[in-house]
Amino acid sequence: MDAPAIATEHLTRRFGQLVAVDDVNLRVTAGQFFGFLGPNGAGKSTTIKMLTGLLAPSAGRMKILGLDLTANPVEVKRQIGVVPEGMALFGRLTGAEYLNFAARMYGLDRETAAKRTAELLEFMQLADQPKALITDYSHGMQKKLALAAAVIHGPKILFLDEPFEGVDAIASGTLKAMLQRMIARGATIFLTSHVLEIVERLCSHIAIIHQGRLVAQGSIEELRAGVQAHAAPDSSGAPAEKLTLEEIFLRIVGGSRSAEQELSWLG
Amino acid sequence: MAGLNAAPEAREQFAAIAQLRWRIFVNSLRSLRGRLELVSRIFAGLGFTILGLGGTIGLGAAAWYFFSHDMAEWLALPLWGIFLYWQLFPVMATAFTENFDASNFLRFPLSYRSYFLMRIAYGALDPTTIIGCLWLMGMALGIGIAAPRFFLWGAIVLASFAALNILLGRAIFSWLERWLARRKSREILGLFFFAFIISFQFISPLMNYYLRHYSRNRRPEIASYATQFVAVQRVLPPGLAASALSHATEDEFGVALGALALLCVYGGAFLWLVDVRLRAQFRGENLSESVAPVALPKGKQVIRTGWTLPGLTGPVAAVLEKEFRYLSRSGPMLFNLVMPIVILLIFRFSMVNGPRGGNFLMRGLDFAFPAGAAYALLILSNLTYNSFGTEGAGVQFYFMSPVRFREILFAKNLAQGTLLALEMVLVWIAACVMFRPPAFGMTIATLAGALFAALVNFIVGNLLSLYSPKKFDFAVFGRQRASGVTAFAALGVQIVVFGLAGLAIFMAVYFHNIWLATVILLLLAGGALQGYAFALSRIDGIAISRRESLIAELCRAS
Repeated sequence: MDAPAIATEHLTRRFGQLVAVDDVNLRVTAGQFFGFLGPNGAGKSTTIKMLTGLLAPSAGRMKILGLDLTANPVEVKRQIGVVPEGMALFGRLTGAEYLNFAARMYGLDRETAAKRTAELLEFMQLADQPKALITDYSHGMQKKLALAAAVIHGPKILFLDEPFEGVDAIASGTLKAMLQRMIARGATIFLTSHVLEIVERLCSHIAIIHQGRLVAQGSIEELRAGVQAHAAPDSSGAPAEKLTLEEIFLRIVGGSRSAEQELSWLG
Repeated sequence: MAGLNAAPEAREQFAAIAQLRWRIFVNSLRSLRGRLELVSRIFAGLGFTILGLGGTIGLGAAAWYFFSHDMAEWLALPLWGIFLYWQLFPVMATAFTENFDASNFLRFPLSYRSYFLMRIAYGALDPTTIIGCLWLMGMALGIGIAAPRFFLWGAIVLASFAALNILLGRAIFSWLERWLARRKSREILGLFFFAFIISFQFISPLMNYYLRHYSRNRRPEIASYATQFVAVQRVLPPGLAASALSHATEDEFGVALGALALLCVYGGAFLWLVDVRLRAQFRGENLSESVAPVALPKGKQVIRTGWTLPGLTGPVAAVLEKEFRYLSRSGPMLFNLVMPIVILLIFRFSMVNGPRGGNFLMRGLDFAFPAGAAYALLILSNLTYNSFGTEGAGVQFYFMSPVRFREILFAKNLAQGTLLALEMVLVWIAACVMFRPPAFGMTIATLAGALFAALVNFIVGNLLSLYSPKKFDFAVFGRQRASGVTAFAALGVQIVVFGLAGLAIFMAVYFHNIWLATVILLLLAGGALQGYAFALSRIDGIAISRRESLIAELCRAS
């Protein structure tokens, strides 16, 4: 059996008294489009930072493509691409300069770096501002550029922290097309997002983290079946309606609000 | 809907904004940084109080003197001083940084009148306005004591002058706000202000120079210029205020009223300028910095390949290229590059002024090159001691990429070293042109000293860049300081390095052999090179252990 693309064992991260990530055991198979969900402050970004080497775990182990991240950071980083929370851009470079720089940092030769830079700028519709500095880009343009930099070396795993946040429908479409193309070619994508409709449409497998602990993991069908199995049976005996990912998510993390809490003055 | 007034009262809105500012202030005290900021503000406040009260007494006395000695037209002098301080000081103090965007309040149901008053009122609450008003009150009192019958007229004229200053200040700020909203214009304006500040250093030597050379022969010419200036200043606001006061003392009330009326016309013009800006803001103008797409002809997009540098790996060459691109786009850095030459130029001007204006470079012309080189090294420490300061969120990229930190820091040091070498060449040329070509022995000794100093600075700078980073914007002038730890350590290192270099030079002078200094400095540089290699070999572990605080500091919103 092949090693999983991403595997964690008892992954834990503490910030003083706060346990941000608590004993998380993740398993992502190669080729999966994996959605990592959770409410605000649940530990999603902390987990992704640990998996990409931006944060040290307090306890536990992480294996990426069968390699221990702590023991082989350089080898692992060569095979992954990351779009972190802050996008990690250098504001005073142009888009082309940044992509060229990123490519060479990942070990691409000069000619390949220049060729892929041109292709990516064209694909991401960023080629028409050749002299603009990144600091002058709109948020959506910066997101597209960050994604372009993350894929320029053809990574086997792509980590994306909120890639669709602040991105318009057109840019979002471009990003989704690229991600689906990568999955079709066998890459693994690990993504966090608050936009559950997008996750439901793109991802085949989901994990949900709540208050630092992994509370669900599996394919969307498995999660749906699990939630429906725990729900009270319908008295009419009619077959239960197919739950959306949002409903599954809310049932697992308990996000419903009682009627008494409604804001009466809102009419 | 219950609880909602048909039209919100402006008074309530002003109270809400005042409360908001108060809460922002109180909440800022929760952090140590905020409390330290308060302490520094208290000290600044004490300084302003002394300036305000001292100025009030001094200007009051001046007004009394001019009025009681029939020299009322001389009031133009203090009025010009007040005018320049009122308009220039706030601009110098705040133009370098991004300002609070008061147009945020526009999303609330605010009438234009309330918005206008709010902007004017906020402007009137700054220390400069308070001090300016205090000074004018002092002058009014001085006038009242010297000639009580003119007190009311003096108060009216000076109050009009104060109102004009407030309006002009607001007009300048509202227009500056528009220009500063865009990064490029902010940078150009920053460069302009920095040049303006630097040029002050030339005033004294230049004045000495021209007074020495021209005062005797060209006195009539200078007098003619002075007469023209006096005539022109009479139709400008401070001159008009002085005219309104002086003509009143000569019982020429018609002329005095005319001058006051003209002053009010100026006030009206400034009011109109403020109104134009604020109305545009109220209508919701868009000052977005986002770039507009430019349609490029197909096939024209050519991506240049990155730099190739013999002996350097791809990542090292890439970081080196990135560093130079960053440096070439930094106004302050480019400015710093010419500063050692500016310093030599100032020394040169001082020398022209003769023995009294002379300096140590007069006694040993060969020291111009080492002095300029030492200054260049000090400037370099701005970069070396905070190597990641300008990266912002980009620093995460280094931790995500498969490149070891020793390579990244080596590339950065290489860029800094190249910059220093370039600077040394410029300083050497400047020393040759302005003083005389330094002796060969002194040139080599200086280069050896610079090599030693640079290596020591790289060792300490690399460590401090990881242990004590500080977010820094290359595009912004002023108000950006290194962390306290870095500043203290940098000072210590410079004392040791310059102390050792000075000792080597002293020994060379004592034994009448400059090559002795070269040998000592080269030996020191050899030791420093070994230290550098050792420190670099340990840097990966340090970077990994420091990554969280480094990322937290540099990714922090400013």
